[in-house]
This record gives sequence, structure tokens and C-alpha cells, in this order.
Amino acid sequence: MRQHKLIAALACLLLFAAACGDDDDTESSSSGSDSGGSAGEAVTIEGGDDMNSILLPKCTGIAVFDQANEGAQEAAEELGTSEPEFLGPSTCEDPTGQIETMTNAATQGVDAVMISNNAGEQIQSGVDAATDADVSVVSWDSPIPSGEGESLFVAQVDFDETGVVMADMALDILGDEGGQLAILSASPDASNQNAWIEAFNTALEDEKYANLELVDTVYGNDDSDESYNQALGLIDSHPDLKLIMAPTTVGIAAAGKAMTDEGLCDQVKVSGLGLPEEMRGYTQSGCAPEFALWSFVDLGYLTYYATYGIATGQFDAVEGQKFTAGRMGEYTIEKDPTRDSGLRIVMGPFTVYTEDNIDD
Amino acid sequence: MRSWSRERSWEVLLALILVGTIAYNATQSDVYLDVDNFVNIFRLSIEKVIIAVAMTFVIVSGEIDLSVASVMAFSACTLAFAYDSGVPFWLAIVLALVAAAAAGLLQGWVIASTGISSLVVTLAGLIGFRGAARVLLEDRSIGDFPAWFGDVGRADFIGPMPFGLVLFLVLLVLGGIVLHRSVVGRRLFVLGDNAEVARFSGIDVARTKVLLFIASAFVAGVAGVLFAARLGSVRANIGEGFELDIITMVLLGGVSIFGGSGTLLGVALAIGIVLNLRNGLGLANVESNTQTGVIGVLLIASVLAQNALDRLPLRRSGADAQEAAA
Repeated sequence: MRQHKLIAALACLLLFAAACGDDDDTESSSSGSDSGGSAGEAVTIEGGDDMNSILLPKCTGIAVFDQANEGAQEAAEELGTSEPEFLGPSTCEDPTGQIETMTNAATQGVDAVMISNNAGEQIQSGVDAATDADVSVVSWDSPIPSGEGESLFVAQVDFDETGVVMADMALDILGDEGGQLAILSASPDASNQNAWIEAFNTALEDEKYANLELVDTVYGNDDSDESYNQALGLIDSHPDLKLIMAPTTVGIAAAGKAMTDEGLCDQVKVSGLGLPEEMRGYTQSGCAPEFALWSFVDLGYLTYYATYGIATGQFDAVEGQKFTAGRMGEYTIEKDPTRDSGLRIVMGPFTVYTEDNIDD
Repeated sequence: MRSWSRERSWEVLLALILVGTIAYNATQSDVYLDVDNFVNIFRLSIEKVIIAVAMTFVIVSGEIDLSVASVMAFSACTLAFAYDSGVPFWLAIVLALVAAAAAGLLQGWVIASTGISSLVVTLAGLIGFRGAARVLLEDRSIGDFPAWFGDVGRADFIGPMPFGLVLFLVLLVLGGIVLHRSVVGRRLFVLGDNAEVARFSGIDVARTKVLLFIASAFVAGVAGVLFAARLGSVRANIGEGFELDIITMVLLGGVSIFGGSGTLLGVALAIGIVLNLRNGLGLANVESNTQTGVIGVLLIASVLAQNALDRLPLRRSGADAQEAAA
């Protein structure tokens, strides 16, 4: 009997060893050298201090987030600091994974977490835990709705402008006669998509878009299968639908595939925010004549630089503060007009992709 | 002899694993042993561990309840839907709990009256109540609950412990007394060991089963309300797949999937292991997929180890039979 228990215990110990054996033990170094840089003068962010950080995407396994990680790794290399840990939930469906990673970050005592928030207001408990532990929290891509605990939001583009860009693309595709369109979004708790949808709705109120009729908004949770089915569902419930507007790279690609598979590309067009690599075929076939995006590599790069500057005390995240972030140039921190409170920098610009520039 | 029954030796093994996990984690992070971290470990999974206590009762009785995560979502969605429709908040909470209990009543009644296996009935419940949750909220995410409700989920209640953790500890102690020190508990063990014997010894099997499933669903409903309080908003897809994590904790705790044996102490130890392991792996930046894999392997190893323990000569001498008769 003793032997059996011994074997069982050994088996369990082996499991631990296998699971935990290969972590690199990184001690967090003290941050904060010279705090300075008065407003008005741009602080050039420089390397020197080490920063342990976590890059927390909405979920892993999505191309644009991998690109953002690429950019962040590039920035870390330039600054000569530890590579950011790219950690996130395995599905975009479940926001609790982000809360867990955020709360763990507080326990780990990392210097900074860079998050693309997919948990809406639910993330707040995690953010509070992190800031209590002096972890700098910078959001990118999708902000913390309340702005509380977040030093800065690195906005890819101006969120109101996103609404106008989407409305313009819709008008371009549908022409003056207009028609019915529907939105296929990511998750209902994604702060960025929700803000864009709101901005899109606001934009549509303009006379110019009077003939565009938004009939439905559905959510595919940034899951290809689910988004595909939601796109097909839209066709069934709205026989006169002319356009699916998907402000998410997963959604737009899934909608493009759904329309192509069903041979519906002549009746229902697809537009929104998409990755050129994933959309090329649909643009060339005329299924998705126009869509827009920005560089996620640049977004990750800029986010890392800004976070590094804040976490190492090179500048404070206050309104009017200017800083220079490597190859991306100079930015000024401003109030985020799309939220009640919170600070942001806007990266920009939008690139609108059509048949003419998709191969560039 | 009794102290070295299968259950006791399993508990000792679990305790050793738990100590090992904690010791290992402590070497990996200076802050791991902080009280706050331990509170966080439970806070992040509080709904699961609360349901696991109820699930122990269900499995000991020889049944299974696969619908718990769906009932939890159904309860939370009822709360959000009612509140969103203008119902006073306290009434919305009552409705949510009543909805959950009704879900349990329905399943328990079908199981008791038709004799269909609870595996099948609660599988239907898993699908059905998730569907009901989706019907209620569709794709929406409803939040903006009163501030005090958020405090129930997040703020310290007693010392550093939030309300949910206190509730879990109370449930654990009360559950332990009921399951191991009361007539009710003894009947559940007899029922789980052999339903025929239970019937002949005068236990109202049908009534017991109905009450069991009402209790299980009600606890899931409470967990749903706590989930809403902790996260501050509700969607129809919350807690998908939780039932497997919960059942994992119970089985790892040494509760026999065939019913009739197991202890709440074992389950409490297993909960400690799973949560600390997850936390330790998380602190070591191990990906969530890998974490799930590790816990899966641990479950398989535990079942194999239990199987090995079952083959011990001691067991053949009838320690278990004595216990059932006791």
C-alpha cells in the first residue's frame, strides 16, 4: 500500500515539475529614475531601465494581436528591456480570463500591463488590484470604460472618426440609393467596437446618409465560426440586406467567407475593419469592395514605448504632456473625448483598402 | 483500521499535494503567500467552489448535475432581465433565485418520476437553461447594477474576505455537518451506494432526489447572482464549461463518480489544489490552455491513483462496507 501511495505522489510531483519547470525567473527591477519632462517639451523616451510587462490581448490566436505583439517586441528590443509576456485568454468569448491575468499581474508585481480590454466594466476589479500594487496599466486598441486606474489609452484612431469612415465606406458601396445594412461586431463587452458602433450610429444621423438604414446589430465574439453563422443569420432575418458592416477583423473575414460560400456577393456586400492579408481575395472578387484598418504592428510598438516611458518615470501621464516614441515620432497626451474621463493619444491614420491598393 | 480507509488515505495524499503546491508556488513568487493573494485565488473562482459543495452532495448520492453552469447563467440573466425591465433590484434577485430553484424542481421531478438517468436529464438542462438565458438577454450585456451590489461581489465583508468567500466557508462547514454528521447525509450515502437498499430502509427516494436537485440548482442560482455582483454585468454566455471544472474538483476530492463514498474535506482539499495550481501556473505566466491541460492530467492521475488504492488488500477486507453500514 505504501508503495502505491508513493507512486501516486511521485506521479503528481512529476506533473508539477513538467508544468512549472521552464518558467524564467525574472525579478522585477526597481523602476523610476528621473521623473521629469515639463509639459510643452517632448520627452524622448530612452532605454536603460528594465521593465517587466504583460501584453494582454482580448484573446490569443487572432492575427492582429500577434502583429501588435510583434510591434511590442520590436520596441522592447530597441529599448533593451525584457520582452513583454504575451498572455491572454484562449477565447474572446470569456472575459473572466482577462480579469484573472490582470489580477495575477498585481500578485506577480510586474511593472506594467498593456491591455486591449474585452471585459467592459468587468475588468475594473482586476485593474484596481493592479494599480493598488503599483502596476502601470496602459490600454490599447480597447480602453477601460471608466478610465479609472488606467494611465493612458493608446487609441489606434479617433473613435468618432471610425464611425464616419465606416459610414463613408457604406455610402460608397451602396451609392445614393442606399439600402439596409447590419453590423456584425465582436463581443458585446468590447469597449472599442461598442464605441465605434455608437459613433457609426451618430454619423448615420447626417443628412448625407439618409438612405442608409441600419436594421440590426449582432455579435460573433471574434470567433470565426460564430461570426460566420451570425452573418448567415443576418441574411435569413433581413432578406433585403445590402451590406454587412463588421468593425472587427475576425467578423469581416467570416462575413466575406459566408457571402462567398453562399454565392451572395452580388446582393450583399461586406465592409468594416479588416486585415489586407485576410481580405485580399474578397476585395478582388468584389465581395468586400472597401474596408479600412491601421497598422497593429505600429500600435503594439507605440503602446510599448508609451508604457515604458510611464512605468520608468520618464514622463507623467497628464494632459498636454508630449513624448517621442522611437520611429513613430511625437505624440501629445489629451483628454479622451469619447469617454467621460481618461487620457489618450491617437496613433492613426486609417488606411482605406480597395481593389486599387490591396496589393501594395 | 478505519482511519486508513480509502477516503482517509486519499485525503492525506491530497493534503500532501496541496502543501507541495503551496510550497512550490511560494518559492516562485514573494507575494504568493500574501493574504490578499489567497483571497484573490478564491475570489476569481468563487462561483465554482460554491457550486462544488452542492455538487458533492449530488455525486455522493449517485447522481450528476451537468446543468449547474447553465442554471447559474439562467439565474444571472433572469436577474439582469428583470432589473432591466424595471423590476426593483431586490425583487430581481428573488426572481433569479426562484427561477434557479424552479429549474432544479423541474429536473428533479423528471428524474424522480421517470427514472431517466440524471446524466441525460441534466444534459438536457445544460442545453435548455443556457438557451433560456440566451432568449432572455439575446446578445446584450446588461450591467449598471446598484453600487451596493458591486460591493457584495468585490468589497471586503469580514476581514479581507468578500461576501462570496464567507458564504463558501459557511456552506463548507454546514455542508460537512449535514453530509457527515446527520441523518440526511447518511441517507444520501446509502442512496448513492444502493438505491434499492435505500428504498427498503424506508427512504423516500423520489422526494430525496427532487430536493437534491432543487438544492443543487438553488446554489447554482446563488452563484449566478454572485457572479453578476463580482463582474458587474451579465451576458448569456457566462460560465460556459464551468460544470466540468466543478465536477473535476469533486472527483479529484475522492468522491466516487458511482456514488456512496467521498468526503467534503477531500473536496475542500481538491479545491485548494486546483485553485492554487492555477494561480501558481498563472503567476509563472503559463498559458491558460496549458493550465487546463495540467489540471486534466491531474484528474486522470487522480482517478488512476484512486483505482490503485481500491485494489489494496485492505480495501478487500471490507473497510468500505463497514463504513456504509455504520
